Amino acid sequence: MSTIIEFKNVNKEYKSGDHILKAMDDVNFTIDEGEFVVILGPSGAGKSTLLNLLGGLDTVSSGEIIVRGNHIESFNDNQLTTYRAKNVGFIFQFYNLIPNLTALENVELMKDIVDVNINGLSVLDSVGLKDHANQFPAQLSGGEQQRVSIARAVAKQPTMLLCDEPTGALDSKTGVLILNLLQDMSNNQNTTVVIVTHNAILAEAADKVIRIKNGQIESIVVNENPKKVADLEW
Amino acid sequence: MAFLGIYVFAGFGAESFGFEQTADQYYTETNLADGWIYTSNLDDDFVDKVNNLSLTKDSERQLVVNSIADFDNDPDITLHFLEDDDISKFYVMEGENFNLSDGDGVWLDTRFADSKNLTVGDNITFEFEGIEVEKEIKGLGYSPEHVYQTSDSSMIPDYDKMGFAYMSYKAFPLDDLPYNVLLVKYDGNSSQYEKQLDDDLDRDYSSFQSRDQHPSFAEFRDETEQHKMMTDVIPVIFIIIAMLTLLTTMTRIIDSQRTQLGVLKALGFKNRTIMFHYISYGFWMVLAGSILGFILGPLTLPPIMFDEMSMLYSFPEWISGFDVSFVMVTALMIILSVVISYLACRKIVNESPSTAIKPKIPKVSTTGLLDKLGIWEKFSFNVRWNYRDAKRNKFRALMSIVGVLACTMIIVASFGCMDGFDEMKEWSYTDINHYSSKLVLNDNATTSQVDNIVDEVDGERLMESAIEIKVDDVKKSGVVTVLDDNELYSPTDDDKNPIEIKDNEISLSRKMAELLNVKEGDTIKWHIMGSDKWVSTKVDRLHSDPTSQGIVVTKEKLEDLDLNYTPTSVITSREVNDNYTGVNTIFSMDSLTDSWDEMMESSMSVIYMLAGFAALLSVIVLYNLGLLSFTEIKREFATLKVLGFKSAYLRKLLLTQNLWFTTIGFIIGVPLGRETLQYLWGTMGDSFYLNATISIKTLIITFIITYVASVVVNLMFSGKLKKLDMVESLKDNE
Repeated sequence: MSTIIEFKNVNKEYKSGDHILKAMDDVNFTIDEGEFVVILGPSGAGKSTLLNLLGGLDTVSSGEIIVRGNHIESFNDNQLTTYRAKNVGFIFQFYNLIPNLTALENVELMKDIVDVNINGLSVLDSVGLKDHANQFPAQLSGGEQQRVSIARAVAKQPTMLLCDEPTGALDSKTGVLILNLLQDMSNNQNTTVVIVTHNAILAEAADKVIRIKNGQIESIVVNENPKKVADLEW
Repeated sequence: MAFLGIYVFAGFGAESFGFEQTADQYYTETNLADGWIYTSNLDDDFVDKVNNLSLTKDSERQLVVNSIADFDNDPDITLHFLEDDDISKFYVMEGENFNLSDGDGVWLDTRFADSKNLTVGDNITFEFEGIEVEKEIKGLGYSPEHVYQTSDSSMIPDYDKMGFAYMSYKAFPLDDLPYNVLLVKYDGNSSQYEKQLDDDLDRDYSSFQSRDQHPSFAEFRDETEQHKMMTDVIPVIFIIIAMLTLLTTMTRIIDSQRTQLGVLKALGFKNRTIMFHYISYGFWMVLAGSILGFILGPLTLPPIMFDEMSMLYSFPEWISGFDVSFVMVTALMIILSVVISYLACRKIVNESPSTAIKPKIPKVSTTGLLDKLGIWEKFSFNVRWNYRDAKRNKFRALMSIVGVLACTMIIVASFGCMDGFDEMKEWSYTDINHYSSKLVLNDNATTSQVDNIVDEVDGERLMESAIEIKVDDVKKSGVVTVLDDNELYSPTDDDKNPIEIKDNEISLSRKMAELLNVKEGDTIKWHIMGSDKWVSTKVDRLHSDPTSQGIVVTKEKLEDLDLNYTPTSVITSREVNDNYTGVNTIFSMDSLTDSWDEMMESSMSVIYMLAGFAALLSVIVLYNLGLLSFTEIKREFATLKVLGFKSAYLRKLLLTQNLWFTTIGFIIGVPLGRETLQYLWGTMGDSFYLNATISIKTLIITFIITYVASVVVNLMFSGKLKKLDMVESLKDNE
């Protein structure tokens, strides 16, 4: 397995008046292709900042972020946009589907910006929603919406899936279903999945667990034998 | 929005009311004559007879002569020698007041003095009929009889080449002062007075002119009418759109404050307190805007026009008009805004705090007919998104369209006016009247004089006399044009093609037929002014004329009806400059079209201003509504940005919708603009007739203005899209 993501001495500071807040303090780690990575930490530890930097939504104050050999810390706005379009599949806590478009249209939406042949129906089928293809987000349950969101993210075959608390707004039973789906994608399709959560139980299912606290890496643990999501004790 | 609406309404209103009030005040102050009686034998006996008429209130005599002042360019100066200075008084700006006992002084036209650098104390020499007089300038000022003045050498006012001067009767160099004009003030209207003159004086005078016929008075009154026509209707459309937009905006602002309102309610604020807070918030804004517009409109807009107008018309001072409608519209604006805030607030306040604190559940998109058609599959994401967004926000879409529509309407109507003026000119001075010179005959020109002129200039006789037409109880004045095998004058049909009037036919102009509510085959009664003989005739056909309404007949028909054929002018295809006995004035076609152009020019600035405000209106409506919808779709756009859509793509997304609305507004606006124009022509007065047409040029101009406005709005949002903070917007969750 090869390394596709590398954080080298990454720092991120926010200024508010005279006060400087260090959101990322000398962070170093690597992620291999196809890995199922869980990033854990309490609220305000810097989990989301890490994900935003990796996803190209925010830029570092210093340090390097290397994705498939590209130094994305040196990208300008336009390059970052293209990077997001081609490499990153986002899954949000609140799904962020486009309310004006049907499930199928939400998935096929990406056709407009990436050069990938997307078969929306088969992707929806892979998340079990083929029958709901023509429904609008508001007509779907939370779990269904999140599955559409996953379908949208994987349809363009990105380098990585970045998930910010993907089960945060779901009941636990549905949450398990979603996480299961994500783990399957990692295992069967060799998709790199990075999940940010404060739910420590998920650690047992991860290939790699990165714990952060106060903007610093607390520990990086590689699980030799990760459990199946379905087998976890919730 | 409130500001702009009131600004335009009160501003343009102040302008056209200003014209009227400026003139009214000036005419009242200077006691402008109601009528002018011209005759060569103005002896005391005649004056007594006039004064004895029951309607006469006052009269005084003047000698009015044309003179040449002693300057290199031989300027034409109209001299007035006054018997008294109570009617049509000289309005002094500088120097001493007019003094009747001063035989050495002259009171001079201030604009002429300005252009010749003359001041009080200077001497000036005039020459008339071989007599030379030199006088000292005692005062400079204006005259109510010379608000608009032209001379033989220039059809348009040129203050370097002409002017007027007032002097006392004592200043006249000869013993006997041959007064030639009697200024009269009378009760009742001009036709009643003229009738009394006719009856009691046995037409023992050469002519009578009422105010309406006096060139200076009539020219300015026509100008005022012309402005009123545009400034009456269009600002009303403007204010209605302003109100509608204001109302939408206020409703949406309050809706967007929903959660805050909910929090206040949850914290235990009383409903009344909350409502009061939100209503007063809108109230103060609208109040401030309205009052600002109310004050600034009349303050800033009329001076621009007055500047333009003062080139043509001389008034000592131009005043901004005021009308009670300004106050009423302002008040209505404020009241409406309060009512609408109240309604919007009440809807939210009446909910329980637990529901009010949550955002309104977004409207759910549904699939409609269009989505089910096969063609839907072919639409891009852009089209689908915009279609559904518009469908989901029908009211916003409608308002945007109405905004653009009104803008289109105003521009089409105002530029259409310009087209119409051009069309009228072409129609009147090329299709109907196609002579080179028109020699207007004296009232007392003899047949042999006329014959002589016709021979000399190789001309045609034309008779145009004022008539009165009566059908049932409707009475209208017009003109009878009598043809005598004329080739230089051709009546036309609606398509401007010449028509032949047969010897036994009576043709009535289309506008007159509309006014009298008659059609071909109906019977009308009419008589020539100054004669009591009424004739009844059948309308055989209709003709169309843009500027003159009435009857066209041949000489043979007129004589059949036992009416006198008396030509009033001789028209010719030659350029005539020499004067002939029996000729009053000579008009060349060029001078006629020039003065037409000149008259229309001042309307241009009104048109440009209206078009400018219309574009501004469109920008404001689109921006306003766009801004409100932007806060609603911010999250969607942030998501799209996160997913990798470029800002340019998102801008295109917004532009597409604006362009749709613009296109729909444009398509509906053009015919509505045409209707507005038709209405405007209808209100322009009884003598004008024109079918509203929109030229390709106007269409293109309107198209460009509306679409540029739409793109400008889009550019305003492009900065916002670039700055859109993805991280923040995503956190901003329900």
